[in-house]
Amino acid sequence: MWLWFSKLGSPKWFYELSGRWLPWLVAAMFAFLFVGVVWALLFVPQDYQQGLTNRIFYVHVPVASISLAFFPLMAIAGTITLVWKMKLADIVVKTAAPLGAWFTAFALASGSIWGIDTWGTWWIWDGRLTSLLFQFFLLIGVVSLRSALEDSDAAAKACALLSIVGCINVVVIKYSVDWWNTLHQPGTDFVLSSNKANGPDIWVPLVLMIGAVYLFFAVSMIMSTRNEILERERRSQWVEELVDNL
Amino acid sequence: MKPHRRKRLAVVAFIAVSLSMATGLTLFALSQNIDLFYTPTQVAGGEVNIGQQIRIGGMVKEGSYESANDTMRVMFSATDYVNEVPIQFDGILPDLFREGQGIVVEGAIDSNGLFVASRVLAKHDENYMSNEVKAAMEAAGVNTENQSALAEY
Repeated sequence: MWLWFSKLGSPKWFYELSGRWLPWLVAAMFAFLFVGVVWALLFVPQDYQQGLTNRIFYVHVPVASISLAFFPLMAIAGTITLVWKMKLADIVVKTAAPLGAWFTAFALASGSIWGIDTWGTWWIWDGRLTSLLFQFFLLIGVVSLRSALEDSDAAAKACALLSIVGCINVVVIKYSVDWWNTLHQPGTDFVLSSNKANGPDIWVPLVLMIGAVYLFFAVSMIMSTRNEILERERRSQWVEELVDNL
Repeated sequence: MKPHRRKRLAVVAFIAVSLSMATGLTLFALSQNIDLFYTPTQVAGGEVNIGQQIRIGGMVKEGSYESANDTMRVMFSATDYVNEVPIQFDGILPDLFREGQGIVVEGAIDSNGLFVASRVLAKHDENYMSNEVKAAMEAAGVNTENQSALAEY
């Protein structure tokens, strides 16, 4: 277990392993995305109340749900950085922050578009929207904190700590719609029965889109992590050999 | 685990736990301010002053909607099925607006107890279904409209 753990921290080992996984993940992502998009945009029945607008649900929900995964991921990697000083963990904290900001921005934008058509407004300062906007600024904060500190060791520690702190906000985002009254609707309880609201005709394509977006998250995380590994290990022998063999 | 690592882990855990508690207490103290709107029952209970800019959330009461013939003016009541507030609005209603729909209105109460709204927003619930499913459920005698929103108000 500990051997596996320390092996995982080796950038070279991760670079080789992820290189083998990547084509499969990309293929699976496109498969999920194709079936999911076609199903969600062309075949999902129109909502009784929101009509076609409801189809943005299939973009907004997967993107928003994955945007909540960034801080927990960064906090785990940050804790490993602080306690075990594992090289790869800090690389994950660094690459996740800007990606997380993009995903959060996309969740906010898709939510706004849904909002203007159903609620009648682009934006409202309710608990859910405000806490998600706060997450966006926190992620921008993690990115700028790293570039503001010249000492890379100090930057790694500061970013790790901010990532752990940012996790609290994820809990607030998640439960905002239950703790306070908001314009945003609460989470949906999906059901197996096909003759009730939120049945399989609604959630099966959602599961496909969630699969596609999560795979996209994995692919983009792995690709930018590999980039950062090459950048940081550029003076090591295995990277030089890799470049020579190109 | 080596002692210095255990110590660092303890420090990280301490920071995380104390910050969560601080955040939790702050949010608990602020919860009144974080709520987006007042309910008609809160308004009836005198929590709102005349002329104060506020939001009220509720359902459009069945049978309460009236529109003027010559102006944009509409009148309706927002209800939480315990109390209700009469609302007057001059403007364009959101597409989802109908009787029985959840709404949030912005504006102020005048001295006659009438809420003069400057903006009306529609609130939709978290239940998604096709017209076919809705028709089938209603044929079976199930109320499909805003079930959870009802529980919320």
